[in-house]
Amino acid sequence: MIDFHTHPLLVEEMIARYPDLARIARDVFYIRNRAQPLETFLLELDVAGLERAVLLPIDTTRTRGCQIYSNEQIAELCRMCDRFIGFASVDPYRPDAPEVLARAVGDLGLRGLKLAPGIQEFYPDDRRFFPLYEKAAELGVPILFHAGMTWEPGAQAKYGHPSRFEDIAHDLPQLNVVLAHLAWPWVLEAAALAAKYPNLCLDTSALYFDNPRDFVRFAMAEQVPLTLWERSLRKQLLFGSNYPRVEVKNMAWAVRALGLSDDCQRLVFADNARRLLGEEQVA
Amino acid sequence: MMIKLTKLTVQTRRSQELVDVTDEVERVVAESGVGEGLVYVMTSHTSSGVLVTEGLECLERDVVAHLERLAPDQGDYWHNRYLDIDGRLGFNAGAHLKGVISGYFAYFPISGGKIVKGGRQRVYFAEYDGPLSREYYVQVIGE
Repeated sequence: MIDFHTHPLLVEEMIARYPDLARIARDVFYIRNRAQPLETFLLELDVAGLERAVLLPIDTTRTRGCQIYSNEQIAELCRMCDRFIGFASVDPYRPDAPEVLARAVGDLGLRGLKLAPGIQEFYPDDRRFFPLYEKAAELGVPILFHAGMTWEPGAQAKYGHPSRFEDIAHDLPQLNVVLAHLAWPWVLEAAALAAKYPNLCLDTSALYFDNPRDFVRFAMAEQVPLTLWERSLRKQLLFGSNYPRVEVKNMAWAVRALGLSDDCQRLVFADNARRLLGEEQVA
Repeated sequence: MMIKLTKLTVQTRRSQELVDVTDEVERVVAESGVGEGLVYVMTSHTSSGVLVTEGLECLERDVVAHLERLAPDQGDYWHNRYLDIDGRLGFNAGAHLKGVISGYFAYFPISGGKIVKGGRQRVYFAEYDGPLSREYYVQVIGE
């Protein structure tokens, strides 16, 4: 069981080593909760019934003058616990962005690419960035894009509209693309893309009002019919929490409370993630 | 007269649980050197509590279950909204309300250098929104 969407922003051990991470969490990513020992993160996974978590950085060097975790810091955290799966992030405007990704995968052992068009301020269908996407496809790693609205200050939702991802899914069918947060509020538009492009997945890490149980039900069973996930997109939906904006346990309980069948939940919580990570071929 | 404040931490391991901290409180009292006085135990988190009950696992479970009935985690609360002071949604009003019900501190007299309490009374740090690393305070006052 894997949480495909976490940000290790409040890990005390890393803040002790890199004090600026506290400011970055507070002012750039905009999460104001108290830092916790690494053990709390692992207990969160335990309470949620999950074994592993994908750790996501965001390279905001160009737009914010800092990195919301560097690739090296993600790799360092992964070395502290084998329950973590590290992703890289790259400033897509860098001329050497494909090479940076190749080094993160080849040298640091990172297993995917995280891009956040809102806070990195780029339109994902801009052709200038396709060499980076092509490198990810060549390396066999998925790209997880932030999609939809974001709480990060100054980051605009316009960069993350689902229509901005169609060229990527269409032109690079060998590349696995994940649109995070169900691309909320554009769930229907994101689902339409996923229905057409089998290389495009969505993750569940959406919480924008109410509580996780009620919001997830609204987004996944009212904005679109629940049968969409059960029948059409069961192999293209990944469980993600967006921890620490929401506790892993609360999102896990919310997704389980939807009433998806056991085999569909198995895909959502485990098999789909393992397939994207190259761990298992799912029929 | 002496007043001594000690900050302690506890790593909770479940979403809701009672953690028996009696031994820790007794240790702080003993180390304070106070013979006659009083001691307060206080949590500094509004989604937790400090309470006293009999030290039985069955009762611990009953307390947690009863508080969940009174203030369910998934209730319909005004707090279920985005809080820009935190950069995230609230939605843990159930935990806050449990803290209100159970209270945030406990008090005991100290006599002969020891806490005065019933033989079955235990002091608990009550976690309502775990797992988390939590802080609580023990203040010893006396001479």
